[in-house]
Amino acid sequence: MQFTYFHLMPWTDLTEAPTQWPARNAEFNGERGTELYDTYINSMAYAEECGFDWVAANEHHFSPYSMMANCNLVGAALTQRTKNIKLAMLGNLLPLLNPVRVAEEYAMLDVMSGGRLVAGFVRGIPHEYIAYNVAPSESRQRMREALALIQKAWTEPEPFGWESEHYQYRSVSIWPKPRQKPHPRILLSASNIESAEFVGEHRAMLGMALIADLDVAAQTIEAYRKVARAHDFDPTPDDIIVMQQTVIAETDAEARALMKPALAYFHGILMRPQADAQRIVLQKTRFFGSDEQRDLFVGRLNKLKARTLEEQIEAGSVLCGSPDSVVKQIKKLHQRLGAGHIVMNMKIGNLADVAVKKSMELFRDKVRPQVAGI
Amino acid sequence: MSDTFIPRDVALSSGPLRVSEAGQGRPLLHLHSAGGPRFSPVVQSLTKKHRVICPFVPGFDGTAMHPDVKTITGLADLYAEFIRKEFPGGNVDVMAESFGGWIALWLAVRHPDLVDHLVLEGPAGLRAGGKGGLPADATERHRQLYAMPDRAPAETRSDAVLTANRNAVIGYSASTAFDQALADKLPEISARTLIVMGYKEQIIPIETGHLLKAKIPHSHLTYVFGAAHAVEFDQPARVGTLVADFLERGESFIVRETAVA
Repeated sequence: MQFTYFHLMPWTDLTEAPTQWPARNAEFNGERGTELYDTYINSMAYAEECGFDWVAANEHHFSPYSMMANCNLVGAALTQRTKNIKLAMLGNLLPLLNPVRVAEEYAMLDVMSGGRLVAGFVRGIPHEYIAYNVAPSESRQRMREALALIQKAWTEPEPFGWESEHYQYRSVSIWPKPRQKPHPRILLSASNIESAEFVGEHRAMLGMALIADLDVAAQTIEAYRKVARAHDFDPTPDDIIVMQQTVIAETDAEARALMKPALAYFHGILMRPQADAQRIVLQKTRFFGSDEQRDLFVGRLNKLKARTLEEQIEAGSVLCGSPDSVVKQIKKLHQRLGAGHIVMNMKIGNLADVAVKKSMELFRDKVRPQVAGI
Repeated sequence: MSDTFIPRDVALSSGPLRVSEAGQGRPLLHLHSAGGPRFSPVVQSLTKKHRVICPFVPGFDGTAMHPDVKTITGLADLYAEFIRKEFPGGNVDVMAESFGGWIALWLAVRHPDLVDHLVLEGPAGLRAGGKGGLPADATERHRQLYAMPDRAPAETRSDAVLTANRNAVIGYSASTAFDQALADKLPEISARTLIVMGYKEQIIPIETGHLLKAKIPHSHLTYVFGAAHAVEFDQPARVGTLVADFLERGESFIVRETAVA
């Protein structure tokens, strides 16, 4: 199995939840921000020493949920702080961005890192569309067009123009091109069957987060496999990547004692301001292709939020416990989903960074040796 | 001239050439594909600013073959004679689909004084290694022609006419996949050239677009998303806007203009 150390770069110092979205930023403190970036980037660089295969970042806007408006900047820092670990951008919110710029920045990261980029593209969560004033209803078509354009930009030997519904460029020829040929591996996210089929059609790796029900997740992954095979691509377990909030401690009790308040901060403080914006987007736009898909998304979030930590562990939604317990939980995910790659989000909410470091080291010393060979 | 295409025959040295034309403005020759003359929404829209003339390759759609015109270069010379007769001392813009693109390329090579702007849509004649080509199976052929099958034109011609069209193509092309003599001459083309390829193009390999872009000195290559080989039918709005802009603004079409409020 393979493993990724993922960092969300949260703001940890709030005592009250912002009640509206975007979250007011009067409380942002620049000096504290610098401290947090130092801590977080050090932690991400340390992932290489802890035996992780990838280190990963992603993109969010207008919220203390994450200080990573552009994960490519963090990726650039990591190209200079690491030697061998793959740098996974999971990913750029493609429908919100200029796809040519994304192609350029990813190519830079790939060349600067010596060919270590994993290129993640995500449609994102609904409220992000308000930040950049993009119509949520256009998100799927923008995603499809932008993804095709980026692959052209990476692989075309001659300058070219592009005409699609949302993107028109008369002359494109990026410098640099990616170092990996024909281009870096692409990872696309999916949490429902419609998205999973899109991933399979593009012969990409599938990334899945916020698992509420292993049976539903398994059905989604099977839809991915089926469509991928129809497009001459037979996914291996390494192509099925599952993200889990993770705390590893010496004992189960200690891990749970750490994770409970961290999840409370995550759900109660960091996730709070986006609730209204998300509701508006889901009610007023066609962000999801059908009402059924929308209701499944909302139901999944509500289910996760309502569950106790013990229920979440049992449901396969988080990894939490002693090294031996986490090994069992990983094996369960592998068995039930066929997942060969776990992305561990260890900086949950305001969990102390010393506890995060301990989780990383326990992973290195006691977890990875038991599961790497699966 | 109205926006309704009106056919007429033009007497040339080798025989009569059927042309159909509509519109007013700078002359634009539209050279049809192996599918024969069809007036796509793109061609129709171009009549608003151009006098669009669509010559029929002799032997197509019931027209007579010219005994002395047997090759692609012969067709290029035939069209050159037509341009000189209709527009003495002038030149025209040329737009061509697939098989017509092969003729247009030779026209630009052999008669550079007659071609101003050149637009090539999935041009034939330069399929390196024999890649691509029209599938023999009708269903597969239709799938590779159209990414948007509901936009394909209805076929109203008889089987006999369609068979004669196919035989004419075979006769002129001699079933050549890659015209090396043409490839050698591409650097001599002086016309500013726009190469349009469908993103889902399979009949003409992607390498053809690369070759043309690399060898034609003043050229632009553009991919049209949501289109296969028949780009004018698959994505008429995108192709129509692109071509009209290229014909109107030439090399400056790469610069975005401020939208009129």
